[in-house]
Amino acid sequence: MSTVSSRPAGRARRLRPLWYLMPAAVVVLGIIGYPVVRAIGFSFFHYNPLDVTGAHVRFVGLSNYLRALTNPGFQHAAVNSVIWIFGVVTVQFLLGLMGAVILNQRFRGRDVVRGLVLIPWATPSVLAAMMWMWILDGNYGVLNDLLHRVGLGFLAQPWFSQPGTALGSLMLIDVWQGIPFFAVMLLAAMQTIPGELLEAARLDRASAWRTFWAIKLPIIAPTVMITTLLRIVWTASYMDLILIITQGGPGYATLTVPADAYYTAYTDFAFGRAGAMAVIQALVLLGVVLAYLRLLSRQGILDA
Amino acid sequence: MIPETRQKTRVVASVVASLLTSALVTLGAAGVSAGAAASSGKVQTVHYWYWEDDPAVPTVPDLISKFNATHPGIHVVGQLVPFNSYQQKLTDAVAAGDAPDAARFKDWWLGEYAHKHLLVSLTPDIHKWTFASDVVSKYWDTGRTSPTSPVYMLPDEYITFYLYYRKDWFAAAHLSPPRTFSQFVTDAKKLTDPARHRYGFAMRGGGGGQDQWYAFLAAGGARLVNRHGQVVANSPKAIAVNQWYIDLVRKYHVAPPTAVSDSYPQLIADFEAGETAMMAHHIGSYTILKDALGNKLGVVPMPQANPSHPGTMGTMTGNVIFRSSPVQQAAWTFISWLSSPYAINILDHSPNAELPILKSVVDEPYFQKNPFWKVALDEEKYAHDWPPLPGVAAVSGHVWERTMDQALLGQITSRQMMDTIAATLKGK
Repeated sequence: MSTVSSRPAGRARRLRPLWYLMPAAVVVLGIIGYPVVRAIGFSFFHYNPLDVTGAHVRFVGLSNYLRALTNPGFQHAAVNSVIWIFGVVTVQFLLGLMGAVILNQRFRGRDVVRGLVLIPWATPSVLAAMMWMWILDGNYGVLNDLLHRVGLGFLAQPWFSQPGTALGSLMLIDVWQGIPFFAVMLLAAMQTIPGELLEAARLDRASAWRTFWAIKLPIIAPTVMITTLLRIVWTASYMDLILIITQGGPGYATLTVPADAYYTAYTDFAFGRAGAMAVIQALVLLGVVLAYLRLLSRQGILDA
Repeated sequence: MIPETRQKTRVVASVVASLLTSALVTLGAAGVSAGAAASSGKVQTVHYWYWEDDPAVPTVPDLISKFNATHPGIHVVGQLVPFNSYQQKLTDAVAAGDAPDAARFKDWWLGEYAHKHLLVSLTPDIHKWTFASDVVSKYWDTGRTSPTSPVYMLPDEYITFYLYYRKDWFAAAHLSPPRTFSQFVTDAKKLTDPARHRYGFAMRGGGGGQDQWYAFLAAGGARLVNRHGQVVANSPKAIAVNQWYIDLVRKYHVAPPTAVSDSYPQLIADFEAGETAMMAHHIGSYTILKDALGNKLGVVPMPQANPSHPGTMGTMTGNVIFRSSPVQQAAWTFISWLSSPYAINILDHSPNAELPILKSVVDEPYFQKNPFWKVALDEEKYAHDWPPLPGVAAVSGHVWERTMDQALLGQITSRQMMDTIAATLKGK
């Protein structure tokens, strides 16, 4: 008798957490899931958002994808996206790691410095863009002025006006903004390293490099993995700087896939083609990240 | 304890979810409706969107307050939207079924919105409007999609492009301000001295530069559409004038090296700081330039390829009412009040001023005795507006900037640029 009555009670107990999670799940599905599904749906239709009656909406199969893939502008944007994502994330990671190592040392004023390094991360994108626009301005920029003052005026450039320097200049700004994220995350991971391990390494007279490579890096590897993945995803979709400073120009020099999709959606009113561009980027990113995860899994980092 | 494979699966699943989410959510979010505008009771609420050229000067909010104070049956709720994101937000709002009742509007967008039947025909109300006969007659066309179509946008402020110049530089070089294209190039070359960071002409190759470009195109005798409304943007004439414009950078080197990406802030900063000698713009920058340069600031009409057949660019800012609005008559009461002499006078005496659209206001001494206003108003007679084609939104949105950049960098020819613009205007 008691066994029979306890079964429903046990099931109810097991289901209770789901009830608690349901409000959040509904919100997530409504605010994020629905637009995602709808965007994927757009990509198979000729869809102008101003066509509110839907009179001209028509199914076009994969033609939005074919048109995007064969468009020279999109091809430029795809190459730029690859350079943008891997260039920015690699430099952010390396400089962030260096920053974390430095901030993990004991020195006077360390707590203040740890707070100050977060400023670029906390700076709104629009503000950062405006600030760097004037630092790198070709006519009155602080950087060019400094170069002239120290006798390196021949290095002064119209940074945002040349195809050869525009993307690099934008990447510099994003690197500046993103270093604190890596530094703080990796610093937090380093602080979990047991002191006994470091003490043992010191007793064994291991060099700083050997200690870092053999002890610290394996322990912070899972953090490195997840922060790098997050930055890849965020950087791939980030286009604030591009929209504010260069609008993808000069020419196609700084046009990335999200920016191309944005202009296609909002100035060409071609939401279907823009949706196809977004889906293509999502699928490529998915492939890259899955390959990355598989590689890390084989190396046992996911097991940590 | 979670088995190892399940743990990996969850990591992968979370990454997959975040990837798809981040790449798609921005675009898809445009489709999420946020509800419809509503009015209730005897007081009708009109939701009105607008931008301000200088948001620090609340000209439109002041006008709304004055309207609300004098119209007890209508309550206007203003929504300031930055101009740079105005078109995007309006598109989102329309797609989501949440368009405002009325909105400030550019003639650039009229073709796309009117052809999608989103705007109310204002013609019946205009016939009954007290000030209809006071509107400069040519301006009605800026609110139409064809000479015979209804009026969808009530004119409110107009601009024509003219040429600011540095009087002191011209005097020092014993030059006269240019009246023709050839004088313009000659003057610009003489005033260009890269060693002193001085350039003859402030070219705007970056965002928003299509108005300056179109002003020179019209002054050169080229047209985007002919009198029958057919696109002729890639005619031999248009290609030649465009080549002349490109040559200002590539052949004559009279613009700063940043010209390809310079936008409004750089244009103003360069001109104020003494980097450039001439700048094509409109009355909207008069106050800021006059404050910065005082008597060193001069103005002349746009130089012309053939002064006997002058041309420049004109563009209208007006107000529209959306067909989705449940309070269309109240919205008309408000936007027609905005174009009344009382409101026009307030607007055009403010730092956000443009050219008045009412003859009675145009004739006031304030506008007739100031050469900066007078030159701009006189140009109205031969100004060419952006054609009311759906493709204009794309051209002004990014196609012009992308192709102009490429042409200035030597990546495409003038013909290729104009072919692309013509195709976009045709909606291909």
